[in-house]
Amino acid sequence: MPMNIVVLIKQIIDIDQMKTDPKSGEPLTQNIPMRIENLSKNSIEAAVQLKEKNGGKVTGIIFGTDKSNAAMKEAFAMGVDEGFIITGYSGNNPTYTASVLGRKIRELGSVDCVIMGNQSADSYTGLLPGLLSAALSMPLLGNAVSVSLEGEKIKIKRVLDEKDEIVSAQKPCIVSVTQEINQPRLPPVLQIMAAGRKPINTGQAEKGDFEMPKVLSNLAPKSDRKREIYEDMDKGIAEISKIIRGEMK
Amino acid sequence: MKFLVFSEDGNGATGLVTKLRESGEVDSITLGGEESKCINYGSKTVTVLKGRAMGDNSLKAIQAMNPESYDKIFISSSPLGRDIAGMIAATLKSLVITEVFDFTLENEIIRTKRFFYGGKTILEEESRAKVITTQPGAFEAKKVDSSSPLNFVELEESKISLEEEVEKDRSGTDIESASILISVGRGIGKKEALDQVKPLVEAVHGELSGSRPVCLDYKWLSEERQVGLSGKKVKPKVYIALGISGQIQHIAGMRGSKIVIAVNKDKEAPIFQECDYGIVGDLFQVVPKLVSSLK
Repeated sequence: MPMNIVVLIKQIIDIDQMKTDPKSGEPLTQNIPMRIENLSKNSIEAAVQLKEKNGGKVTGIIFGTDKSNAAMKEAFAMGVDEGFIITGYSGNNPTYTASVLGRKIRELGSVDCVIMGNQSADSYTGLLPGLLSAALSMPLLGNAVSVSLEGEKIKIKRVLDEKDEIVSAQKPCIVSVTQEINQPRLPPVLQIMAAGRKPINTGQAEKGDFEMPKVLSNLAPKSDRKREIYEDMDKGIAEISKIIRGEMK
Repeated sequence: MKFLVFSEDGNGATGLVTKLRESGEVDSITLGGEESKCINYGSKTVTVLKGRAMGDNSLKAIQAMNPESYDKIFISSSPLGRDIAGMIAATLKSLVITEVFDFTLENEIIRTKRFFYGGKTILEEESRAKVITTQPGAFEAKKVDSSSPLNFVELEESKISLEEEVEKDRSGTDIESASILISVGRGIGKKEALDQVKPLVEAVHGELSGSRPVCLDYKWLSEERQVGLSGKKVKPKVYIALGISGQIQHIAGMRGSKIVIAVNKDKEAPIFQECDYGIVGDLFQVVPKLVSSLK
């Protein structure tokens, strides 16, 4: 049965390239390119695979900035059919983020499944799936390593600390995915070119009455490690075994 | 002040309740079977959710406890904990601060510390957030003499049905309480190589842990042994990193260790910036020599 799938895409600065100032500890974010967050790529891949199997449509939503067009085009090239960019993202109140995204999803009308990453790589909040589940009254199938449609139900496999579970729920559902779910595709050049011509819908986020936390500081943690490095293995072993023995007492 | 604490496995509540009981009254919630772990930490009550806990039915049970009557709701971070935290924040329309590893309270103002930019920075914030998720093991647990009275609540049926359950080969290990951890990374090359590391684990009476690739991608170790931003946050007396390059996400999981020792072939590996003692060399040569030197 054709599915109406929404995928939430997050754009972050490329944190692997970001450095912190060795003296002040300040994050050096200038001139660092933006990229689609890795788990969003896994989410797009999962959504597109569901569409390829069952038919239907994938709608991508980015709550981002006016610089989010490139991310949406990349999502198009991977197989997303329609895209909405909502500008005005500030990122430090997940409840606000969820309210903006929830409103957009409701506007889209009948949706079978909303897919997103379980925790984003920059802030690791992991809150959005639960927030949207409550806001949209859709059951949450969390931490999926596989997802499929079976009749009117969505079925996932999830990995928990003590066990693996296969769980299902009547659609519509929220599905959060982990990076183990798939290997996101690298789109062929033709698709990338076609994606560039596809129109993107943009709109501005409504400001709500939401508290934003006050940032007191955001600095690299100080490392007071001794950094005694031995290239002479035997000397190192002698020193280290002394240290370990001392701590074992 | 009045606090509500939720911890899926009971363990997450112990340090949190210890810290909170200085500032007010704490009611704790845990899942059936885990209550014995958290009854001796000074909670006024411990509510035990019985049945198969999923996000939706756990939320209903918590809502019946009148969450809006509490000043703050603390949730120990875990897969279910994070789902529930989001749901409670949505129903209370409250700001939520996540993965907090340190905080101070001043009436309704909370100052929190959490990692940002994938663990590269520490973000210190001040807010009136009502919902806070905390890293398990972040706070020191101290028992009290009395035990908390238990309330049992039967969970309603969830909208999510269980089709199949696969129990894992679980050693029941708790790397967060080990005083010496031997942690392995991609550098060990293959699962069988773990046998060459085990003599060291025995020699120091330690526990074995690993990096994300080792635990999740290659599954050489079970997930409960994963150290890192997305795994366990550990603070042993000695952390011995073998063949771990030292990605920032890994460092964020072991930064609290008292002494860090690293062995790596690559002199330029970032782990050498985050260790107290390091040996540049092949871990398969270093480990046996270290074992005999410890004997």
